[in-house]
Amino acid sequence: MGVADLKVSNRGNQVLVTHALGSCVGLAIYDPQARVGGLLHYMLPDSHLDPAKAQVNPYMFADTGIPLLFRECYQLGAVKSRLRVKVAGGSQVLGGHEHFQIGRRNYAALRKLFLKNNVLIDGEDVGGVTARTLFLEMATGRVWVRVLGQETIEL
Amino acid sequence: MSLIPQIIKSLKNLPPFPTVAQRALTLLNNPEVAIQELVEIVKFDPAITANILRISNSAYFGLRREIHSLNQALLLLGTQELLKIIIASGATRLLGRPTPGYYVESQGLWRHSVSCAIMADLLGRELQVGEGAMGFTAGLLHDIGKVLLCLYVDEKFADIIQVVKNKGVSFQDAEREVLGVDHSTMGGEMARIWDFPDRLRLVITHHHLDKPEARGDDLVMLVYLADLLVLMFGRDLGADGLAYAGYPEVLRHFHLRERDLERILLHFAEAWQEAQSLFGLAGSKDGLQRAHC
Repeated sequence: MGVADLKVSNRGNQVLVTHALGSCVGLAIYDPQARVGGLLHYMLPDSHLDPAKAQVNPYMFADTGIPLLFRECYQLGAVKSRLRVKVAGGSQVLGGHEHFQIGRRNYAALRKLFLKNNVLIDGEDVGGVTARTLFLEMATGRVWVRVLGQETIEL
Repeated sequence: MSLIPQIIKSLKNLPPFPTVAQRALTLLNNPEVAIQELVEIVKFDPAITANILRISNSAYFGLRREIHSLNQALLLLGTQELLKIIIASGATRLLGRPTPGYYVESQGLWRHSVSCAIMADLLGRELQVGEGAMGFTAGLLHDIGKVLLCLYVDEKFADIIQVVKNKGVSFQDAEREVLGVDHSTMGGEMARIWDFPDRLRLVITHHHLDKPEARGDDLVMLVYLADLLVLMFGRDLGADGLAYAGYPEVLRHFHLRERDLERILLHFAEAWQEAQSLFGLAGSKDGLQRAHC
């Protein structure tokens, strides 16, 4: 997957991958009964920054990308109450709490949207200074995070 | 046991910087470079000539018609764009090498370098810093120190990352603590041996802004910010991740707000897509990438 990209699938032989998340956030959702899931890689929190660009590529932003991920999974037969929701990314460079906060704002935008729509997170690896690659295995719904240069963990 | 004697020895055996790129660097400070001078530099290097044609046709350089001949490329691109292409082509021989310790992927350093060059180019135009090809070049070459230091970082990676985790310091500080030297100091030494222009050497040495006195220089600040933004963008990240210090001084220096950074990332995402042929330079099968310098 690219930066600002979305993939949904119901094919058991696929693994969806998004590489080396920095401040971007990767969101994986999966319905184990329908075996439908998807992965979103968004870059920025809020589409008000550039509504024209959000029209062209809604996956760029949390507020336009996240609803599309859920909607496209519903179209393949996923049901909201069954969805497993996992999140990774949102890293930041070292420093204070006031500057270079795109990673945190990306994650905050997701939390806000989830709160409003009553979506709970089942697992996450968010923040810090690491680069993460996120995998969603379609056959099982298992989600892994590979921390570059370090360990791979299951969410 | 300190690795410093070994590291210093690796500096003594430093191979020459690719000749063509070296000659192009000397023209960086000259706004009135004649096309003919550039032709003289590249004409005996068929690989670079081929690269000029290939890259000229990428969306990044924004030409609206297809380029078929070198002459056409030279005329349409202009000298500053050509300088960027010549320096990038030459630098693949150095930066296109595997750098275990920093990047798992063999082209990792090349990809990060190109990303930073594109970001510095884009930022430089917006902020009116780094005239001509200077921002691009400084962005491209800022991490040359990783080429030599990678073997030592690879050997001591577990120790270095432990220092980053336990002390919450930058990867560069941890390099210094574990190895006795960091990649920016190393790069600065390489730039001195290779006789890079002073301004470029300054950027390479201080691109993480660890010395307060470097924080007044526009080009150092430009490349520092470009590097930070590229780390946030992700994608071409290495094992050092985002473990570098963010100094808000850079925002004040350029009168930028947080929201401006988001806008810049948005523009960068497009430029990054358009520049894929630049990324491909080091991985191409023209025999260029494996030629050792």
